[in-house]
Amino acid sequence: MVAVAQHPNIELMTYSEVVKVTGYIGNFTATIKKKAKYVDWDLCTGCGTCWEKCPSKKIKDEFEMDMANRTAIHKLFPQAVPGKPRIDAANCTKLTSGKCGICEKLCPTKAIRFDDKDELVDVEVGAMVMATGYDLIDWQNSYGEYGYGKYPDVITSLQFERLVSAGGPTTGKIKRPSDGKEPKKVAFIKCVGSRDDSKGKSYCSRACCMYTAKHAYQVKDKIPGSEAYVFYMDVRTGGKNYEEFYQRSLNAGAKYIRGRVSKIYPRGDKLILKSEDTLLGRPMEFEADLVVLATAMVPAQNSLQLAKMIGFSVDKDGWYQEAHPKLQPVETFAAGVYLAGSCQGPKDIPDSVAQASAAAVKVCGLFSKTRMAVEPMTSEVDISKCSGCQLCVPICPYSAISMKEIQERGGHGHGPFTRQVAEVNSSLCQGCGACLPACRTAALNLKGFTDEQLVAEVDSLCL
Amino acid sequence: MKKRVGVFVCQCGTNIEANVDTEKVAEYARNLPGVVYSTTYKYMCSDPGQEMIRNAVKEQQLQQVVVASCSPRMHENTFRRAVEAGGLNGYLFEMVNIREQDSWVHHDRGEATRKAMDLVRMGVMKVLKNKPLNISTIPITKKALVVGGGIAGMQTALDIAEAGHPVILVEKEASIGGKMTQIDKTFPTMDCAA
Repeated sequence: MVAVAQHPNIELMTYSEVVKVTGYIGNFTATIKKKAKYVDWDLCTGCGTCWEKCPSKKIKDEFEMDMANRTAIHKLFPQAVPGKPRIDAANCTKLTSGKCGICEKLCPTKAIRFDDKDELVDVEVGAMVMATGYDLIDWQNSYGEYGYGKYPDVITSLQFERLVSAGGPTTGKIKRPSDGKEPKKVAFIKCVGSRDDSKGKSYCSRACCMYTAKHAYQVKDKIPGSEAYVFYMDVRTGGKNYEEFYQRSLNAGAKYIRGRVSKIYPRGDKLILKSEDTLLGRPMEFEADLVVLATAMVPAQNSLQLAKMIGFSVDKDGWYQEAHPKLQPVETFAAGVYLAGSCQGPKDIPDSVAQASAAAVKVCGLFSKTRMAVEPMTSEVDISKCSGCQLCVPICPYSAISMKEIQERGGHGHGPFTRQVAEVNSSLCQGCGACLPACRTAALNLKGFTDEQLVAEVDSLCL
Repeated sequence: MKKRVGVFVCQCGTNIEANVDTEKVAEYARNLPGVVYSTTYKYMCSDPGQEMIRNAVKEQQLQQVVVASCSPRMHENTFRRAVEAGGLNGYLFEMVNIREQDSWVHHDRGEATRKAMDLVRMGVMKVLKNKPLNISTIPITKKALVVGGGIAGMQTALDIAEAGHPVILVEKEASIGGKMTQIDKTFPTMDCAA
């Protein structure tokens, strides 16, 4: 992270979003919204006076998966890069009611800006890499058998990560969210939302088998005399040193039970899991202090809108579609737009890094030339035939067709006049031919596949 | 434009030859309008095969070329380059698929051969209407935009930046790092994520 911030060739735009992209490979214009932070980061030194003194201290900390509180002016997490705070406008007393303003009074560099506004900036770039990542499935709304999220001691793997992290809300001590007690018996349920056609996703989220093996190991390692049980459908450890890692968890004493948990309900301060041990062929009831759900990865929020806006496709689950599953895994169908990491499909860290470097190489390959060749088999408009009906414009999947105004000399008693005709941007056109059937006056032709050529072919077969 | 078509029928080892009588197809092609030269070869995509096309374009002063072989997805560029090497515009060339769309999917050699003739005739009629096309070029802005500052976005940005190109890294949260910063230790080496 620090290496990124320090690199002279990298310009960081955090708390920002891409809102508009126009142009084509080699020549994109992206509009980026720099969201209001209410802090001038050029002046801020990140000293921390503001968030220490902020009186709005009871806001759920999203970074800690709501298991701790934060202030309204806050840094995302202690090692944040850049290490500067922003004000959460919805929860700031000054911004909601006009009172307070303590941070402004105390800031030694006078960096607080309550009048800060969202700002739009345009940047010119030649290539784009999408690395929008994943979110976790909203299991509370679909998994009633696990309590719809109403049992505090049924948590997700990402919550467990925060509990076990030295920088987390419990400074690395595994504690139950309900009463803060150390759990002795921890149950892990894999494939919550993954490989579940009825309520979740049909795909495997790929990382869960491994991180659950890690979590089970961490329970055994951190809590003396503890028990870790993993309920699984399959154990998938395809990866270098992965199977060995899983064996290490088994050797540490993690118990694996093949079966899906059908129900969780509380009994006293314990949670009862109803399941089946499918290897023994017996139903079972299991008592646990803490239950950890390995929830499915899903495409990041708003990733679909981003794909639509830029103009590339997504697959049936909303993951960004690669141009070819084997031979073009980092390209999209939009030239100059590449994919990195789990926006393309569930991935663990080693695979994300490998794909990220692959995407970088594609960009560098493009940038190794000053100009690039464009395939000449593109659509062209015969403006003498074009009626300006505009039917072709929305049909083009690459937004390559626009309308332009031309001057006509007139005649037959009419003076000069202007009219609209279609224009094809040959850099954007991929030669797919989708526009041709839409053209009622046959003004559009695909070079290399003109009507004349195709008719000659058909004639030779039929006449 | 002068009509001097050359037709090259590939045998693809036995992939095509087993079900298509390529000699018969080549002989048939010779009598099509505009065709001045036709031949067969075991592997048209091999170096000697490409040389055959190159030399024929020069020696026979071919103005149009038809190659009857596999799918254009496989070797269209190979043959287009061979045609260009002979001194002809690469788009005065048509590829006819007599493998995936003929020899591989039919069993009757006589019928498949007849279909190959039909396909070659279509290719010749089309190529006679082909016009030379020119590859245009567009400028490239050597600056990249990376959307998302998680582990993948950071790695991409670093690699591009290290190669000497400017990068803009856009992240929706106030810090880069993404989900990885929430993770404690990472498998299989158990090293720190943040």
